[in-house]
Amino acid sequence: MKSEKLLSVQNLKTHFSVGNSIVKAVDGVSFDLESGKTFAIVGESGSGKSITALSIMGLLPNNLSSTDRGKIIFNNQDLINLEEKEMRKIRGNSISMIFQEPMTSLNPVYDLSFQISEVIMLHQNKNKKDARKIAIEMLDLVGIPEPQKRIDSFPHELSGGMRQRAMIAMALSCNPKILIADEPTTALDVTIQAQIIELMKELQKKLGMSIIFITHDLGVVSEISDHVMVMYLGNVMEIAETNELFSNPLHSYTKSLIDIAPQITEEKRKIRLLKGEIPSPIDPPSGCVFRTRCPNPTHECKNGISTMGLIEPKPGHFVDQCCYECH
Amino acid sequence: MIEIRNLKKYFPIKGGFFNKQYGEVKAVENVSFKIPEGEILGLVGESGSGKTTLGRSIIRLIEPSNGKIFYNNKNIIKFKEKEMRELRKDFQIIFQDPFASLDPRKKVFDIISQGLKIHTKMNKEEIYEKVKTIINDVGLQEEHLKRYPHEFSGGQRQRIGIARALVLDPKFIIADEPVSALDVTIQAQILNLILELKEKYSLTILFISHDLSVINQIADRVMVMYLGHMVEIASTKKLFSNPRHPYTRSLIETAPQIFRKDKKKIILKGDIPSPINPPSGCVFRTRCPNPSHDCKHGNIEMGLIEVSPEHWVDQCCVNCN
Repeated sequence: MKSEKLLSVQNLKTHFSVGNSIVKAVDGVSFDLESGKTFAIVGESGSGKSITALSIMGLLPNNLSSTDRGKIIFNNQDLINLEEKEMRKIRGNSISMIFQEPMTSLNPVYDLSFQISEVIMLHQNKNKKDARKIAIEMLDLVGIPEPQKRIDSFPHELSGGMRQRAMIAMALSCNPKILIADEPTTALDVTIQAQIIELMKELQKKLGMSIIFITHDLGVVSEISDHVMVMYLGNVMEIAETNELFSNPLHSYTKSLIDIAPQITEEKRKIRLLKGEIPSPIDPPSGCVFRTRCPNPTHECKNGISTMGLIEPKPGHFVDQCCYECH
Repeated sequence: MIEIRNLKKYFPIKGGFFNKQYGEVKAVENVSFKIPEGEILGLVGESGSGKTTLGRSIIRLIEPSNGKIFYNNKNIIKFKEKEMRELRKDFQIIFQDPFASLDPRKKVFDIISQGLKIHTKMNKEEIYEKVKTIINDVGLQEEHLKRYPHEFSGGQRQRIGIARALVLDPKFIIADEPVSALDVTIQAQILNLILELKEKYSLTILFISHDLSVINQIADRVMVMYLGHMVEIASTKKLFSNPRHPYTRSLIETAPQIFRKDKKKIILKGDIPSPINPPSGCVFRTRCPNPSHDCKHGNIEMGLIEVSPEHWVDQCCVNCN
């Protein structure tokens, strides 16, 4: 059974001009999102995960440098070239987003009723009364107890977990096809994180939306996603089905990430290391961007003359050619 | 080396007419434990469980409300300010956020050397030599001493924070979530560094973290806190292979893992209650997956019992489950 492609990102390049230099935050990312599935993007800070998401949402600052930016195909439209007026109809409606810090992404001076109804009135032509009714249903759906009462609460009256639930309610209130979740559980305690992950899975089953789930935590990836993309310094290192990626990682960066991830074992484990830090995107290494931290670079790679690019050694499992050949 | 007996910390809540006290935040409630020399004791719990307050109370950065703290068999609660200042050399903290804990207007050398200037009578050359050795020990170079904190990455800043803590040759370190703000590859580097330095400087460490998998890698023994109470303490091996408290069990089962054999898990309902008005009886009863009749009604006294050698669990939850 082949699922339908809902969103296709093709050679996405998001470069910013900062002073005299160009920051290549996202440099040639391609992937497909299938409908009803969860696609995880993992990587360290500075790898371009969030900028990829913001590029899809069209929420970029205006110091973009004018290069060929690639394509983002959704509903037979290329979102890259869409006018702001058109984009506004999609954003928050068929593609919506939730963020890491529920305290800063909710408006502290408005109650939930106002904030959730606003989205519904804007996109669905409902009056205030109906919008409030839908908002209450949404709060109920995301498991907030006593939604009729809670709807009039302000963000500061809710706990972190409840705030993230309210954010999810707001994002889902227009029945989006795609929900982009940017580190939605990172600021939460593990017990609350488990609740939110469980909730997102349940809602996906009920409403059938696709999720792009951004995280730095491979453990969370294995709990929630169907496919994973590993990013490093604006580039894609590897894309595969979640089980395949963990049982058979092909890229040396993915291997290191899996190796390093702290795990609960009965025996104390030796801490494994990946040396160095992620380089600056203003002046990335030539050739393969990972070569400065690669545990086992070839001669060509060290000298920065290898070329990057995804290859598909197994059906559905993509890996950067440089590191596939090194190992 | 360190022994804590019945430590309590209540913060008063004041306000209203004449700034009257009308309540208390019960941050730490009757905590007792020992840390032998050379041990890394891991302290886990959710936010609001009292981990940081406990850590700071131990070295009297926060004055405890009640209880005894023995350091090398002396009760330091009774120490006057002057004696305490002498002792401060032996106690150091490594903080969570390397962006907030370094003074942005001081050069790295000034940040690290400040303790030496206050606590020792070293001359300039001696101070410089000492700082130079330390900065090499934490994996940075001499040239970094002339720079300002904003010129460094998160991992490097945390190394500077560690250098500052070590410069006075302390005996006891409180590491308060030292790797929580770091990426996983950097986190591994810093954990490794802490283990290396622990051997080199023969340190005793209280390692505070909310992340059980980090604790699992670094600690010799683990103590679990919930709402100001200690609910379980045991060696790392025992705690992870045979957790007895339902809270510990749930923390272990819900920690996201790449390779989990058993996908079944207890997900706790609800949030941690407010420490202003904690549940009566067992504080965990509002989230307990399986409370007994007595427990539900809050008629149960909390208190640790020893279920196997050196493995202590709160009595209430051992009996419930």
